[in-house]
Parts: sequence; C-alpha cells; structure tokens
Amino acid sequence: MPIYAPTLPPAPDLGHGQPPALVLARFDLARLWRQKIGRFFGFAFLFLLLWKVARIYVDHLLQTNQTFRPMQDFAKTILTQGADFQADLLNPASYLLWFLVALVGGGLVARDTLYRVRPLMYAHPVAPRDYLLAKLGFASALPFAILLPFALLPWLMSLILAGASGPVWVTAPLRLLPAMAISSALMGTLAAGASSMAATPRAGIGWVLGLVLGSATLASMIQGLTGFSAVQAINPVLLAETWPQLFVGVDHPLMGWGPALLGTVFHLGLWTFVAAKRTMPSEAVI
Amino acid sequence: MISLDRASLRYGPILGLSPTTFELPEGGGITGLLGPNGAGKSSLLQLLSGLLPPSGGEVRVFGGAPFRNPAVLSRLGLVPEGDRLPAGLRADRWLRMMGELSGLSGPGLKAAVARALATVGMADRAHLTFARMSKGMRQRIRLAQALLHEPQLLILDEPFNGLDPEARLTLMALLRDLAARGTRILVSSHILGEIAQLTDRILLLFRGRLLAEGSVTEIRQLLDRHPVELRLTGEAQALARWAVEQPELAALRMEDGAVVLSVRSPRDILPRLQKAAAEGGIPLRALDPLDLNLDAVFQYLTKDHA
Repeated sequence: MPIYAPTLPPAPDLGHGQPPALVLARFDLARLWRQKIGRFFGFAFLFLLLWKVARIYVDHLLQTNQTFRPMQDFAKTILTQGADFQADLLNPASYLLWFLVALVGGGLVARDTLYRVRPLMYAHPVAPRDYLLAKLGFASALPFAILLPFALLPWLMSLILAGASGPVWVTAPLRLLPAMAISSALMGTLAAGASSMAATPRAGIGWVLGLVLGSATLASMIQGLTGFSAVQAINPVLLAETWPQLFVGVDHPLMGWGPALLGTVFHLGLWTFVAAKRTMPSEAVI
Repeated sequence: MISLDRASLRYGPILGLSPTTFELPEGGGITGLLGPNGAGKSSLLQLLSGLLPPSGGEVRVFGGAPFRNPAVLSRLGLVPEGDRLPAGLRADRWLRMMGELSGLSGPGLKAAVARALATVGMADRAHLTFARMSKGMRQRIRLAQALLHEPQLLILDEPFNGLDPEARLTLMALLRDLAARGTRILVSSHILGEIAQLTDRILLLFRGRLLAEGSVTEIRQLLDRHPVELRLTGEAQALARWAVEQPELAALRMEDGAVVLSVRSPRDILPRLQKAAAEGGIPLRALDPLDLNLDAVFQYLTKDHA
C-alpha cells in the first residue's frame, strides 16, 4: 500500500472577488432593500412618476383630441410648458428626495462608527479610499437611480405618443442626465459628509437635515439682509433644483451658472474633505 | 513573522508606544500581550494590523510593512475589542461581506463561511441577528470573520472581556486548537490569569514600553533584584537550619509548619534541596514556588519601572 506524504489543505483562493468599494456599496444597497423605509419611498416615488407620465398623456390628449380642444388654453395656463416643463421632470418632490437621502445617507458612515466596523474593514485589504468611494458612491447613486426614470420614462412616453413634436424635447435626456448627476453627487456627498460627523445613525439623519435646512435658512437670511441673491448658492436644496433648470435653459431668478458652479464645488469639496478626514484609519482606532 | 525595529507610535504629542524592538518567529503558537490599561497594547496591535503607520522605526509582518499593504493584510485576521455589531443584521450576511472584503467569492466564499462558523461552533445559529445573540455568540462571530480567509496571524484585542467563565473556556480551547493547527496568535489582555491559562509566552508592556519578552520562567530568572520565594512545608525548625547554611539564601520567614525562603539563583539551590530531601537529610513534605507565576512577574516588573 503506497504511503502518501501528508498534505495541508489548500489555501483559500483570494483576490478574485469584486473591488472592495463595490462590495461595500452592494452591502448597503441590500440592507436598504430589506428595510421598510425603502418600500415606503418606493411607493411614494412610483406615485409621483405615474403622475408625471399621466401628465404627458393628458398633454397628448389635449393636443390631439378635438373634444378637449376648448380646454387647451386653460391647460397651458396651469401647466408648465417648454423649458420649465423639462426641468420640472426632475423635481419629484425635491424635499421628499432630500428626506430619503437624509434617512439613508445619514446612517451610512455613522452606523460603522457606532459599531466600530471600520477597524475591521481596514484590517482587510480595504483602503480608506475604497471605503470613502463606496459611501459617497452609494449615497450619490441612490438619488440618481430614483431620478433616472423621471428623466427617461416621460421622454420615452412623449416620443411614443407624439414623436419629435411631443411635450418632452427629444434632446431632453442629454440635458437632464448631467444635471441629475451633479444634483445627485451634491446630495450624496453632503449626506455622507454629515453622516461621518455623527456617532449614531439617528444623529447622522439629524446632521443631514440640519445642514440642509440650516444652509437654506442662512442663505435666505443673508439674502434678506444684503439683497445679494447669489448667496443662495450655499443652499443645497436650491442648488439641486437649479442644475436641471440651467441645463435646459431656464433663466433662474436667483442663481446663474457661476454661483451655481461655485456653490456646488464648495459643497462637494467641503463634504468630501470632511468625510475623508473622519474615515481615516487614525479615526478608526481599535 | 513579526519584527519591530524601534517602532514607535505617537498620537499627536502623546506617545502611545515607545521605540520597541522584538521578533516573533514563524509557526503556530500563542503569545500573550500583557499590560495594564494604557500600556500601549492597542497601539501595538494597530501597528501590527496595519491600521496605523509607525511614527518612527519599522514594523514588518510577513516581511512587509502592514500599513495599507494588501499582501500582508490578506494573511492576518483581526478581532478588535468590544462586541458591538449592527444589531439588526444577520450574522451570516455580515460574514459574507467580510469574506468578500478579504477577496473570497463564489463557492469559495460559501465554503469559507461554513468552515469558519463550524470552527467557532455557530453553524446552526448564523441566521440570527446580532441583537438576538449573547455576548459570547457575538464574540465567536467576530472570531469567525477573522478566520474566513484562514490567516496565518490572528490578532485578538481583549477577546475575553465580558465573557462568562464557560464562554471564556470555550474561546481559550478554540484558540489553543487554532494554534496547534499552525496559526500564530497574538492575544492582548490586562488580566494576568487569562493569559497565564492560555500561554506562557508573553510580551509585557507598561506605560508604552516593552518591559519583557519571553516565557514567564525566563523573565522571572532575569529579575535578580527580586529573589524567588519558595515555601518548604515540613518540620520548620529543621528546614530553617538547613536553609541558613545555603549561600543563595537572601531571607527566611517562619510559618506554621513551613518555612518561606527567599533565594537567589533557584537553579543552584533546587538540586541540593532535592538531593537533601531524597537522602532524608531534611524533613521536607512539599515545595511550592510562591512567585514563579505571571502575577508576580508582572508586579515586579511594573514596580521596577514605575
């Protein structure tokens, strides 16, 4: 009978998984999916989306059906038209979206702080930039994913019903998608940065809401005192609403391209810096 | 496996770990990292597990600097202090994510999770959320996450804190088993009894300085300023008469039915004591070394450096 040399079990096959940032973001998405909050907001945004799509159909009926012809002028006075209509597609209850971003994003980093998970992650082959990328990416991708059907479905519906003469411009996605990307990045970055300053998820939600509402109040107070409207560029809610308007060519009464760009860069830079500082390995000591 | 060359760690103006030099060889075994609170144990573990770079000197684990080095980090497992884990989360889901962060995927990941859970005895309870687990169960899950990628070096920071005696003994048995299978284990604790039960190889830290390294016996022998205390039980008068003739005797204390000797160089006096007892020269019934244990070593060393 042959005698075999003793062998060790094979070492685990490492290094073939997904990038750490993707693993972390996927984990956050799965957690959100299992929460009731996801279902509530899912229904809320679905309802708003149906309303937008219904409006396209109503508009089509007004244009094509002789029965509704007398109502056409009246409808034009109460419904937004032209460039305003295109920009309005991306404002599905702006505060509802901000509220969702606060509820979800507020706990993203704070939860890991509370449960001291970051030291464990950094003791794996996970660099701080992977962690930061995952959190900023997830927090920004969430509003983007919610806004995406608001930009594409009405456009598609308009194309199917009325072709190039429909209420939604044929080139609308080309203008709305970059605006969505900027607004979503603004929301996600602010949420992740605020969450990184909190010690618990609830405090994180408070930080996000406090910063959003506080900035808006501060901007309004300064504008009221000085009459300088460009100061509204520090208001993240207004900034997120302004970008779609700027991209489709609406003349914004308070903010032009310059202040909007400066305000957005300020927020993106500040909150990325805060999140990076607060998630450094030295902040994750065991 | 581990080598520190004058490695130090500062937290701003505060010195967490003074320049420290030591080496731990390849292969399995348990080393206890011992010291009171604030001694620098966690600082040392942070350096070894790559969480922080040294402020000075050099830290090498598996031949490379561990800080932000995936090649090193993929070969070590860390069990940090504490038992806080996301309350509403299921343990198996959390383990899968940690496995993926280690670079596992597909069937390999599934097998690794099952193996780690079986090792820590949690295979049938991994579907529970952390909120429904006891402290001991959560600690075992934390250990399982560190074992997923079968690390060669396992670092545990105060793993016995808050565990009941049964869970403590189970965890100790588990660590001994892992060490026997070739894993090098570094365990920190400020409780001497825990380390003494687990291993006799220690690194002793105090106020950010490495005071001693080696086995308890080896370190004890270096403590010349503190003679070893031996209790000889038997006919006290006769034992005392024999003892005063020995050149190694530093002090002598009479007790009821026993005599306590303080002796220098116990290696020299013990063979003579054995010989005299065997030949019936002294009425010796029992011999107990009183301070050849970890508590005594720790107290002597820390008093000397206080």
